[in-house]
Amino acid sequence: MIRVSHLNKSYNHPDMILKDVSFKVGKGEFVYLSGPSGAGKTTLFRLLFADIKPEGGQIVIDGLDLVRASPAELAGLRRRMGVVFQDYKLIPNYTVFDNIALALEVSGVPRQHIQKRVWHALKVVGIERQIDRLPVQLSGGEQQRVAIARALVNNPRIILADEPTGNLDYEIAEEIMRILHFINSQGTTIVMVTHNRALLQRFKRKVFYLDHGSLQAYVWPD
Amino acid sequence: MAKISDHIFPIFKLTGNNIRRHPVINLISITIISIAMLMLALYFLAYINADRAVSGWRTDLKIAVYLEDDLGAEKLKLLKNFCLELKEVIRLEFVSKDMALQRFKVTLGENSNFLSDLPENPLPASFELLLDDAVAEVADVERLARQLQRQVGVDEVIYGSYWLRQLFSLLKMVKYFGFIFATFLSAVTVFIVASTIRLSLFARRETIKVLYLVGATRWFIALPYLLEGVFQGAVATSFALGLSYAGFSYIRFWLMAQVPQWSMAPQLEFFGFAPLLFFLLLGTLLGVAGFFLSSRWLRNSP
Repeated sequence: MIRVSHLNKSYNHPDMILKDVSFKVGKGEFVYLSGPSGAGKTTLFRLLFADIKPEGGQIVIDGLDLVRASPAELAGLRRRMGVVFQDYKLIPNYTVFDNIALALEVSGVPRQHIQKRVWHALKVVGIERQIDRLPVQLSGGEQQRVAIARALVNNPRIILADEPTGNLDYEIAEEIMRILHFINSQGTTIVMVTHNRALLQRFKRKVFYLDHGSLQAYVWPD
Repeated sequence: MAKISDHIFPIFKLTGNNIRRHPVINLISITIISIAMLMLALYFLAYINADRAVSGWRTDLKIAVYLEDDLGAEKLKLLKNFCLELKEVIRLEFVSKDMALQRFKVTLGENSNFLSDLPENPLPASFELLLDDAVAEVADVERLARQLQRQVGVDEVIYGSYWLRQLFSLLKMVKYFGFIFATFLSAVTVFIVASTIRLSLFARRETIKVLYLVGATRWFIALPYLLEGVFQGAVATSFALGLSYAGFSYIRFWLMAQVPQWSMAPQLEFFGFAPLLFFLLLGTLLGVAGFFLSSRWLRNSP
């Protein structure tokens, strides 16, 4: 599903941010990208959703080579992929419904199907009653659920999540993790960036550990 | 199966949201484009009406050929035939000395009594030549006058060239200046639209980022801004044309009230359908041009 080979990224700086990083994620897997601050996790995450391009190496996601793909192909891939951020990235003056519906409108989903699919996504994350609220009227945990609902509303094959629990207290973070694991149990591949060791211990899955730009090893939390 | 409307509707929805949620930016843009288009519309309105008025004078262009006194019937006939054979002359009227005096008396009205005391009629006889419409240029009239002046029995040829020449050359200048003025205003308008679109983009950079994240294509993101430029251009131009019509109607009404004997006032005309459409298209195109000037972000986006 995801194949990263000999990836390099330096932002034209002598010190490489990522050095010869290679790994694979299979269909339906749930993997963590972890490591200390400054290890290159966010850079790798941005490379995975083609926000930036590498200086060397190859990234193939769902059969598409991100380095060679055209902007239209990348847009198509993003429609088959959900992305979740630590800061939620919701549009502040859009309601919960509008924020989630946007992902469907971009894909040209018929209007009569949009309401049903948004409702279903909100039900999965458990905040269907907040449908008409603005993001500012929601708690951090609720905003993250909206972001997850937006990521999964298109029935993506992959969800990428960058520190989705980073701004949340532990109990709420656990709820978010349960939601992500539930989505994974339905067959969606999930790559989650986190440095939260407690969560890694609590929800044990394969971890790719980055340190100083190098992928150290596939480690399994104790 | 997605229909075309399922792809188009969200673009119009985003355009509506952009306009509704950023009224100040749009208002500033519309106001500035309106001012530019109003200046253009008033300028061309003045030019078109002045040109129309002067065109009327062109067709009324006459040459008065004053004759020497005591010109014999033979010479008078020869001169008349010469004038009638000129292809530019479409009508000839002979004004005898008595007729000239009579006209002068009518012109002077109550003050004409002194004319009776004159020992003899001082006014010369003349031929008044009405020229073909094709002889619109003053240079042609001048050439004809020189030709007439050389004939035997002609005392003087009057055709009022100086002020007409000044007026025509002034109008020509106004016309050329108008094109420079229009180009300059258009460039300023495009720059303003581009700047407001850039401001909008800056204000909505987070929204644009989210649109990329959810898989929007570049054109899906850009089209609402293009439509916003079209909207600004069309609304501003409509407003400017409405204002210029109101101003034009007021001036015409004022002229008729203040100068009732001035017969030209009712002849003043507003733009016809074609110029109106041209202005609307121009305003809209300026909005589109503003979008393309600001669209470097589109090419540079991931």
